[in-house]
Order: sequence, then structure tokens, then C-alpha cells
Amino acid sequence: MRADLQSLYRETLLEQSRNPKNNYAIEGANRRSELKNPLCGDVVTIYLSVSGDRIEEASFEAQCCSICRASASMLTTRIAGSDCLCAVSLAEALIAFLNAPESDIFDKDDSLQALSGVKAFTSRIRCATLPWEAFQKAIAD
Amino acid sequence: MWQTINKLSFRQMIENLTPPATPDVLKRARDDFPILSRTVNGKPLIYLDNAASTQKPQSVIDSINRYYSHENANIHRGVHLLSTEATAAYEAARKKLAQYLNAGDESEIIFTRGATESVNLIAHSFLEPLIKPGEEILISHMEHHANIVPWQLLAERTGGRLRVAPIDDSGNLELDTCLSMMGPKTKLVAIVHVSNAIGTVNPIEAIIAKARENGIATLIDCAQSIQHMPLDVQSMGCDFAVFSGHKMFGPTGIGGLYGKRSLLDKMRPYQGGGDMISHVKFDGTAFKEPPSRFEAGTPHIAGAIGLGAALDYIESIGRETICGYESQLIEYAVNRLRSCQGVEIVGNPDHRSGAISFIMENAHPHDIGTILDTEGVAIRTGHHCCEPLMNRFGISATARASIAFYNNSDDIDALVDSLAKVRALFG
Repeated sequence: MRADLQSLYRETLLEQSRNPKNNYAIEGANRRSELKNPLCGDVVTIYLSVSGDRIEEASFEAQCCSICRASASMLTTRIAGSDCLCAVSLAEALIAFLNAPESDIFDKDDSLQALSGVKAFTSRIRCATLPWEAFQKAIAD
Repeated sequence: MWQTINKLSFRQMIENLTPPATPDVLKRARDDFPILSRTVNGKPLIYLDNAASTQKPQSVIDSINRYYSHENANIHRGVHLLSTEATAAYEAARKKLAQYLNAGDESEIIFTRGATESVNLIAHSFLEPLIKPGEEILISHMEHHANIVPWQLLAERTGGRLRVAPIDDSGNLELDTCLSMMGPKTKLVAIVHVSNAIGTVNPIEAIIAKARENGIATLIDCAQSIQHMPLDVQSMGCDFAVFSGHKMFGPTGIGGLYGKRSLLDKMRPYQGGGDMISHVKFDGTAFKEPPSRFEAGTPHIAGAIGLGAALDYIESIGRETICGYESQLIEYAVNRLRSCQGVEIVGNPDHRSGAISFIMENAHPHDIGTILDTEGVAIRTGHHCCEPLMNRFGISATARASIAFYNNSDDIDALVDSLAKVRALFG
């Protein structure tokens, strides 16, 4: 398989896509945001249970591709238990990272590096950023 | 899938998987399209996204180059030679379109930016002044957004009502229901001839006949039929037909509509500006006759000329030849995809042209599209501007392969071989 395709569909990402974590709706979530990519019709809903400044629980539901599902799984895993402001900063950093070809702000062993394969496929960057944008919207709303 | 195959004899199966013979006139056609000899990701380009946009033969590219190199001037308003030549070339393209569609008169052809603008023009200039609150526009469940949204906007402005004729699980229009939905309140039936998403060919003859019996105007969206089959608007009997140039081997940004002259004569302008007036005074303006009334401002002259060259190219091959060959090729593609493990074709219409949508058990259409692209195979993935149709099938997206006459069975085989790579990765 070609190197860029291998990088896009690395095993950690495929595994998260096949067996996504936090793939459910939180009953009684106090933040919820649905975001659609009008170009392709993919849709992601992020559910948050926020207490004070802390994200107690994060989950998602989606009708989307493997990249988007894996990204939503990583997002919800990463932000659960973290401070809202920190999570928002992380989302901003990740979206900037995926949209900038040269940017390399994440450590090599950071699990979010699994998403960096989209950089070689311009049309797929939004697949990875969609859950993070939905999260930003959930916090902003 | 296996049930279907079991019903076929072994001989039939072999026949159905036999590649269609390419007619002599099409064997060299591929060489006329320079882009088809390029590589993509190091692989020969296999272009199967023709429903989104077709490629352009060298003759179309040359005609645009020649216009800008030798004839470029504004039309209809200059006395100098270049303007005269440009005007003649632009109007010659209109005449070719009129002949191509067998319109009664070339004034029945209006140039627009494409099918979308044509539908919007008809909504604004024809239907909006006629429709009253509670009156209806009838469309089908398989329409492209371009034949849904303009009517929704019109309904909002006028109090009109949009009604949707259902389709069955195979992707066929439920014709009896569709016909029964035409009543005294129906002002317009706007139906797609060939579905861009699933390839269904609709029985427009029956729809137009029933509409005419009831005095209902008809609009046929020919964006996906005009490049695949002979069309004769007079024998079809429709009031309007819309199409896009770039889907029929012409340039982007040009397309048009056919409208019956008796209706065009009564219609108000779409946009105001130069070239569409007979005289302007501050206390009132008089408009030109059709088609000029509907072509405000400097049009896409090079585009119209390029579209004319595309029509010449199609005619040089012959539309009957194209239609016959493509029918065999699309059937071959359907049968090859049916025999592909893990592939499910979306829609199984009685009559199909141009396009096949499919999904795979474990791979999302975008993932299919990305992997195919790395193999040089260009297909479309997503909702194909047909979200209601996707919802009807309970899916958000499909992968779609769509053919033109320059495709052949090798292209279909490359598609099928590439799908094996998707399966290898996603299972």
C-alpha cells in the first residue's frame, strides 16, 4: 500500500473507527451540538456533561466515515475529565495542526498524531476536524 | 444478491459479464480527450465521475482558444468585424442546440449558466406570476437539490405548495401515484429525466401526457439525459427542458433551457440589464423578444461557442451509437458490481442510464473514494445533492460511478479491482 494511504489509515485509527469509544448519547447531557459537513452529508453529534468548568463525560453519535468516527472517539476520550478551557485550546490546536501542512505541535507519541495522515489528503481534513468543530460549538452554545 | 444470481443460468451469467464490444467510431474517441491520457497518483486516470462533469474533447478546447485568439468581442452591439463574428458564432451555437433538441425555433433556446440557473429562471419568470397560495408544484423524491430548492423558495414567496411523488425501494418512480397527484391545483410538474444519483430513467412520456391532459406545465431536468440519449423536445411535448453544458463535454458556466415560444412570450424577464431591452426610459422599459429577454448582460460567449463545438463532437459520433453502447456498458458495470463481495448497489431501477450508486458493508463511501483515488480511479462520494433520496434509502452517502461514451470495460474492471483493495483494508 502507498505510504500516504498507510499513514491515513494507520492501524490505530482503523481500530478506533471499528471499535469507537464513547459512541452513545448521554442522557441528560447539558451540552449537545450537531454538526454536518454539507459537502458530503456526514453528521456528528457531540454530547457533554459539564459540571462547573469540568467536562465530566463526553460522547458522540455519528453517521460518518472512518476518519471522522475515529476522530470523534479520540476527542471524547481525550476531553473527558478535563477543564473546558484546556479542551477548547486543544480543539483549536488540533484543527490548526491538521490544516497546516508544516505544523508539528503535537508530540510524536501523542495519540492524536494518528489523525495527521489527513494532511496529505486535502479533501479529508474536514472529516477529521468535524467532531472537534462540533465540540467547539457545543461549548460556545 | 445471491438470490438474484441463482435465478440466472450460468450461460446468462457469462453473457452478462461479457464486456460490450466498443463500436469502431468510439475506439479512437478516447484519444480526442487530452485529459484522459494523464496519470493520477502515478496510475492512469480512470474517470468515472461523468455525472458530476464530463471531460472535454480537443475540439471544444480549440474552439474556446480560437474564440479568444481570433474572434473575441462583445456580441449584439458592435458594428466592427470581430463583434459581428462573435455574434455569429454565439448565435450559431444556439441554432445547433435548437437542432440538437429539435426545438421548433432557435428562439426557444435560452443560454444560462447551467441547469440550476435554468430552473431558477423558470421559477421566477414563468411560475411565480402564475401560482396562487395553495396551488402546487409536483416533483419526485429523486430530484437533485437544484430541482427542489428553487421550488421551496418559490413556495415560501408565494404560498404555493411543494408536493413530492414517491419512489419505490428499487428507485423507480411510483408512476400511478405520481399521475394521481396531478390535480386542479397543480401548476407545474418538474421531474428529472435521469437520476444523477442512482441512474433511474423516468417515464417522462406518461408524466407529460397526463400533465398536458390536465393543462399542467412540465419541466424536464435533462442534465443527466442530454449527453446519453437522443432527445426531441417536440415529440416529448414538455414545456421546458433544462441542461448543463459541462455535463455534455462542453465548458463550465454555460447551459440552457428549452421553453415553448408561446410560454416564453408571456414570461417576465429573469434579470434586468443590457442586451435584453428594446428601449429604456426612466418612466418605463420595453423588453426584447425571447430569447434576448432572458439573457441580460454579456453572456458566456466562449462557453456557448464551446458548447456548440461539443454538440458537433457528439453528433460526429452519433447519439444512437452512444446510447446503445452506454446501455451495454452500464449493464456490464451493474453485473460486475453485483458480483463484487461486500458491495451493495443502491437502487435497482427498471431502466438505468449513466450512473450506479453503491455502498460497502464496512467502508464508508469517502473511504472508498480515497482509496480508489490512489489507484487513479475517480468516482463521486457523498449525497450527490440528493439528500432526500439518500434519506429514502436510509443512508447518508453512496459511492457513485458514472460513465460516458469514452469509458470502456477496462475502466469498469479497474473499478472492481480497486474495490478489492478497499475490502482488504476495511474488510
